[in-house]
Amino acid sequence: MSGVKIGSMLLGLVTVMVQVLADEVAFPSTYHVRQSPDTLIHGATIITGEGNIIENGYIKISNGVIEALGHGMPVSVDILDTILDAHGKWVTPGIIDVHSHLGNYPSPGYSPHSDGNESTSPVTAEVWAEHSVWPQDPQFPLALAGGVTTLQVLPGSANLFGGRSVVLKNVSSRTVQGMKFPGAPYGLKMACGENPKRVYGKKGGPRTRMGNFARYREAWISAREYQRKWRDYHEDLVSYQSPMPDANADSEKDQNRDGKEKKRPTPPKRDLKMETLVGVLEGKILVHNHCYRGDEMAQMIDLSKEFGYQITAFHHAVEAYKVADLLAANNICAAMWADWGRFKLESFDVIKENVSLVDKAGACAIVHSDSAMGIQRLNQEAAKSLAAARRMGLEISEAEAFAWITFNPAKALGIADKTGSLAIGKMADVVVWNGNPFSVYSRAEKVFIDGALVYDLEKDLKPVTDFELGQRVREI
Amino acid sequence: MNLRILFLLLIVLSPLAFADSYLINNGRIVTMGAMGTIENGDVRIADGRVVAVAQNIEAEASDKIIEAEGAFVTPGLFDSGTQLGLAEVANFVKSTDNRVEGQQLGAGFLLALALNRYSSLIPMVREGGITRAMVIPVTGTEILAGMSAIIQLGDSAHFTTNDGNAVHLYLREVDKELAGGSRASALIQAINSLREAERYTRNVRAYENGKTREFRQSEADLKALQKVLNRKIALVVHVDRAADIETVIAEFAAFNIRIVIAGGREAWKVKQLLADQDIPVLVNVMDNLPSRFDRLGARLDNAAILVEAGVTIALMTQNLFTNTQSLTQGAGVAVAYGLPWQEAMRAITVNPGVIWEVENYGTLEAGAIADVVIWDGDPLEVMSAPTKLMIDGKWINLTSRQDLLRDRYSDLGNQEVPFGYR
Repeated sequence: MSGVKIGSMLLGLVTVMVQVLADEVAFPSTYHVRQSPDTLIHGATIITGEGNIIENGYIKISNGVIEALGHGMPVSVDILDTILDAHGKWVTPGIIDVHSHLGNYPSPGYSPHSDGNESTSPVTAEVWAEHSVWPQDPQFPLALAGGVTTLQVLPGSANLFGGRSVVLKNVSSRTVQGMKFPGAPYGLKMACGENPKRVYGKKGGPRTRMGNFARYREAWISAREYQRKWRDYHEDLVSYQSPMPDANADSEKDQNRDGKEKKRPTPPKRDLKMETLVGVLEGKILVHNHCYRGDEMAQMIDLSKEFGYQITAFHHAVEAYKVADLLAANNICAAMWADWGRFKLESFDVIKENVSLVDKAGACAIVHSDSAMGIQRLNQEAAKSLAAARRMGLEISEAEAFAWITFNPAKALGIADKTGSLAIGKMADVVVWNGNPFSVYSRAEKVFIDGALVYDLEKDLKPVTDFELGQRVREI
Repeated sequence: MNLRILFLLLIVLSPLAFADSYLINNGRIVTMGAMGTIENGDVRIADGRVVAVAQNIEAEASDKIIEAEGAFVTPGLFDSGTQLGLAEVANFVKSTDNRVEGQQLGAGFLLALALNRYSSLIPMVREGGITRAMVIPVTGTEILAGMSAIIQLGDSAHFTTNDGNAVHLYLREVDKELAGGSRASALIQAINSLREAERYTRNVRAYENGKTREFRQSEADLKALQKVLNRKIALVVHVDRAADIETVIAEFAAFNIRIVIAGGREAWKVKQLLADQDIPVLVNVMDNLPSRFDRLGARLDNAAILVEAGVTIALMTQNLFTNTQSLTQGAGVAVAYGLPWQEAMRAITVNPGVIWEVENYGTLEAGAIADVVIWDGDPLEVMSAPTKLMIDGKWINLTSRQDLLRDRYSDLGNQEVPFGYR
């Protein structure tokens, strides 16, 4: 391969990137950080989310970000608007649920509201979950009361390729765009196993797991082809636009070396399905792969190697403990429930130590909900996993376990540089708990998102959705 | 051989089966009875019963001594609504037996006949400290879905009886399609079913001689409802909306039957009515979603509000899954939302015993059935689990299939021995 060719391919890659970036400005986030008073919380037990714990700690929030944190009190407590004495309380990062259907399977759960599965074809990589999210879902405030500040809403698992996910800030907004986490990469929902073959077994297939795999491979082959077409186009465009060293003196006309007139190349037709898949191949869209069985995870890993993409996380990874070493070696997160299984055959081998065994193998372990009820108590689910770990003799601290619902999901969502832990300069997504969050008796007392107080148990401050207003009577 | 004599002989000899006696020393004994909680207390168990509870009990020579070292000791817990034993895999219809579709069978569906006492789910559920449960039918094609069964999760020989322990009627929004499409038609159909059973009860002989006009329901259904009409068993009405609860109570008043409300997500709105009429409510604490219009008032403090008003509650998980901690977790969440701890414990011990008329179950007092759990922490905490569990006076091995899987895969580094041989 000549140096020129490689150079033009690189140029092609750059321009393909431009093309993919083009749809990133579609449906842009309009989320904005609310003005909020600078706040100092002190005296609390602080779990940072990255494995550390600070006794009698303080955290200072300014302009929506964490300005300082440490032990005791900051050196200077100058003109602060709000100072919270949090002795006896615990402070943690906002909880992040990597797997949710709030908004696309909202309450009330009637069929006009059922917007999670575009189960019309096994490959629907073209759909985007954000177009299904109803921002008035009353389940959002319930999750907020459980300390959830960020969540990924995914398409359902009926399809092999379910479509794009969206990462949301759990804030009250008229529009989905107003909830979209600024700068969060998109995810692609893929699904293994029972669901696609159940849904399509009598609708033209796939009907078997081998059918699932044939269609994954066909789709990736098409994506590589689509990627090549665009690359060729951009190469052609580059050569069309670049001046011809032989011909420049003779003619104003664009001519090829053999004298033919240069024709401006026509771009291939955009294909939404392929754009998403190519986004994965180029590492810009993260793969969130619903996959229960360990043996299937191993197959999916080989599939990703065949086509050259990275799996970010296996979700509902009930059997992750069986292949935890493979997950660690391939840098793949496992998102798991603490103890839920036996609701379908591929969840038969559920064990309570799953999360901790994955963690101990050196892989990124996440506790997720996939449930509008479970999302309200992810701290308790993490506690269950921690307790099971300790019972089998694994040494895991509370601070480490809290990463399962904060820092690790942030990593899997590609936002760990912005949120998911309490560190200077990060978004002030913070929860003050009225006790140890690993206790069933503790509740989120205050929730801050980007420094704004959005939930306060004592002051009964919480968002009320339009749907609830005037009919979901709370008074006794 | 005269079976009756053999049977009597077995009854006479049966205490021999419980010949073991135990003394649990130095526990935090949550008696759930008049003695309250005894710090550093002792419990003596013999012949399948609690025989003594006190601050200090002298061991008898035959007693095996268990040092509790200050740990919580509680009665075995009771889940008042589960599907345990009816399914190996919940969403896999071929493995479930919890409903009847398209048959002439409603109230008389005796699910006890389908229960699998050997299910590998049972040891998992015991890991949640649960020793007894009410297994309930769900709707297939009839709103009168069948009869529930009380199960004992220990000695499989005493797993259940085939009596049928309550009849379940479903009148939620999702159920009305089964009975004409309106709440009114569903309620009228239920009332007609009870009236039919009244006619049957008044003249069973005429029915058996074929001298009555044709009944909509089968004989099994009529017999099941006869037990309800005779107040031998309760009618459990699954209903959520406050207005529906009021209507059900008003319309069933004339039958003078024992009603239990199940679900009752808006029960808190009609707490006084429930308290005045002494109608218990089965609560699934954590299901607080406004997921239908009849559940708009669902809230996590439903249990706390009801108990404060004087309503008797029991907790249920309604699940067929492995998240077996959800009974204690639900109780703990109810506490976090205002229910006193002692009342949360009552809702999973004493109260189910009262509601389902299980004699001598639910406390650690002399004479009580010896369902005993020793915990490694506060039983309602999500991080706690039983360390020892006794049902009907027998210690139960707490190993489950999950533990075997864990042990098989706990060392992935060792690739010498194939996993199938571990």
